[in-house]
Amino acid sequence: MTDTTAQQPIIGSVLRASTVGFVCGTRSQDIVHPSFGAFVRTRHGQMGEIDVIGLIHAISIDDDPLVRQLVLANNMTPAAARDQRENRMVPVEISVVNIGFIQYDYIYHNLPPRPPLSLDPVQLCDDETIMAFTERLDFLRLVLNTNDVPTEELLAAALLHASNARPEAQRYAFLVHAGRRLAGLLAHDPPRLQHLLRLINPN
Amino acid sequence: MGARDPLYPQSDNLNDWFPQRDTSDVLTVNGLRLGVVVGGSLSKGLDVKLDRETVIEDLAVGRYVVVRGLNKRFFCMITDITLDTTNPAIRSDPPDLTDQFLREIYSGTAAFGTLHVTPMLTIDLEAGEPRPVKTIPSHFMPVEIATTDDVNDVFGREDATHFNVGAPLELEETQINLDLKRLVERSVGVFGKSGTGKSFLTRILLAGIIQNDVAVNLIFDMHNDYGWAARDERGSEAKGLKQLFSSKVAIFTLDEDATRRRNAKYDHVVTIGYDDIEPEDLAMLKTTMDLSDPMIDAAYELQKVWKRDWITHLIDASSDDLDMLKEMIAASPASVQALQRRLRRFERFDFLKPHALDDSVRKIIEFIEQRKSVVLEFGRYGNALEAYILVANYLTRRIHAMYVQAVERALGDENMEPPQLLITIEEAHKFLDPLIARQTIFGTIARELRKYNVTLLVVDQRPSGIDDEVMSQVGTRVTALLDNDRDIAAVLMGISGSAGLREVLARLDTSQQAIIMGHAVPMPVVVKTRTYDTEFYRSLGSAPAGDGGSQRSKPDRESRRIR
Ligand SMILES: Nc1ncnc2c1ncn2[C@@H]1O[C@H](COP(=O)(O)OP(=O)(O)O)[C@@H](O)[C@H]1O
Ligand SMILES: [Mg+2]
Repeated sequence: MTDTTAQQPIIGSVLRASTVGFVCGTRSQDIVHPSFGAFVRTRHGQMGEIDVIGLIHAISIDDDPLVRQLVLANNMTPAAARDQRENRMVPVEISVVNIGFIQYDYIYHNLPPRPPLSLDPVQLCDDETIMAFTERLDFLRLVLNTNDVPTEELLAAALLHASNARPEAQRYAFLVHAGRRLAGLLAHDPPRLQHLLRLINPN
Repeated sequence: MGARDPLYPQSDNLNDWFPQRDTSDVLTVNGLRLGVVVGGSLSKGLDVKLDRETVIEDLAVGRYVVVRGLNKRFFCMITDITLDTTNPAIRSDPPDLTDQFLREIYSGTAAFGTLHVTPMLTIDLEAGEPRPVKTIPSHFMPVEIATTDDVNDVFGREDATHFNVGAPLELEETQINLDLKRLVERSVGVFGKSGTGKSFLTRILLAGIIQNDVAVNLIFDMHNDYGWAARDERGSEAKGLKQLFSSKVAIFTLDEDATRRRNAKYDHVVTIGYDDIEPEDLAMLKTTMDLSDPMIDAAYELQKVWKRDWITHLIDASSDDLDMLKEMIAASPASVQALQRRLRRFERFDFLKPHALDDSVRKIIEFIEQRKSVVLEFGRYGNALEAYILVANYLTRRIHAMYVQAVERALGDENMEPPQLLITIEEAHKFLDPLIARQTIFGTIARELRKYNVTLLVVDQRPSGIDDEVMSQVGTRVTALLDNDRDIAAVLMGISGSAGLREVLARLDTSQQAIIMGHAVPMPVVVKTRTYDTEFYRSLGSAPAGDGGSQRSKPDRESRRIR
């Protein structure tokens, strides 16, 4: 969890947080990196502190009074639009569900005991971290039980991220493995299972 | 970076608790893990969830599996195989399993196979004897296909009293060794539809019994199957017992011409005198010859009048003679006439003569005393059921009577008792149907157990026709395919764990497969019967059991007079 992680781009900082998730704020031009279902982590400088791992489940751009005016004005120039995007007063919000945490370089597959602190920097996980974390698939259950997020789409996107973090040769086996776990977890709900499997089916 | 979970694994997926082999290409299941016990009961059997890798199509009812418990091995038989789904809803919208990805995910998870197995025996881990099951393994114990060692631990090895009758299903290199001593100690039944190999199986059992000297046999050979070469359906010849054990087997015949025509070496021609036949001998023929009670009563009366020659007199009697009888007996003339008509059918049977040429009963006894088995060939009379029943009853009644006397005279001194006698009859339900089983000698023999050293080997294709009480005394039942439910129920009566065996029994191969259950085996077992061929003949010649008799105490082997 060292050099390569440090090189991962910072995508924003914690705005609000709880033990089940947090919202990370960023400037609008920085949102080329994060995508729906991506694995992110907070990064706390201090040893022994908790770094939370989560999945991006929503990215939203709120309006502000200036945007409203610009939308109404019919003479908006490209320069005005770019200026608004780069210098707007309201940050883009990236919502994250917590799925685990790291403490003293150990990965834990349950909810963090404390939320991350506000303004903690947030970065995308590197492939090594994603692989290590998804060695176990306990987060599937955690996410399936989460309310207010599009669970199937989120899990499918996360699994595809996790699959792509692996060498080509391991991807198929990983998806099958994950699929079997889902089959166990969603035994009570075959339509939901079928939908999810359709989303991750590599064929 | 290490990964670890501070908590207990929070999984409801069995596969996570029980890591599986990652060899999804394994097809042979021999000696491998099949799945885990997930439920069940002692009385109803265990449910086993199959591992994903287990190929359901490779399993079959009747095979043995072993549950490896904490300190015991549980031997179970597969009695049912089911396809299960975690959710019935999946049945209404089944996933598309032509998609490889979906197939790999669904099979073994949302859709999986379950075995139903019936526990039969346990063996304690530290060198225990096989014991009846009194408990079941705990949850999630692994289930494997039984290995050769497992089977040998249960059925023992071949020796002077254990005879190889075949291999368990799918374990061709293993053998099932019957305990012959226990086999002959109580009556034996060989059942199965026509053409399933009853005669071949019976011949194999008899060969083992004769080779190892565990009993002397008297075989009522309806279709000339046992004594001399019998032709099988494909036209090749199978050796008879006389050819295999020329010094231990004698052939008696009722039809000298037929026996001679087959070039069979026979030792004696059996004739029976009308003057030796008693009304009791007719009672057995009630159903076969359609004799009414008044006719039987008439027979007793006629015997009083005409003494020993009553049958000859009756057959020859003119209507005037019958008229004269009216004064002398109470029986109605109609009954007497009807009886006369029935008994005239006896004239077709050349072995019946006014006076027997010699005493066949005594002859048979002489051979038995010398520990020689007797095969009685019926020749062309095998097709006449009344001849078969009459002769079998006639001889057996008299031989049994001598046995009873001899045993009683021995006063419990085993060395003085006559040798164990096993009497083989075919079409047994004709002798043992509930209407006559009480009165006939065969019913008596079956019921009195081994008290007088005589037991039965009954061969039958319609076991449901056999009296229940008699059936309950048939200690060892060897059953080839049966497809009639009543027959299946009849052979399973009184066998523990029989509910599951029903499925197995109805699905045996049509030939050369049988379930053996009861007294001579520690647990029911499905065998592929040994092939009766030159290799079998050879094994009889050279098997270690050939000189097994030397372990026997001396007097036991000497011939002894029964009379
Ligand atoms: N153990 C065996 N060895 C060789 N052939 C067998 C064996 N069992 C059955 N068969 C074959 O099956 C046929 C039918 O067997 P058979 O014993 O005559 O049946 P059943 O007496 O039940 O009518 C035989 O002719 C033979 O070809
Ligand atoms: Mg036959």
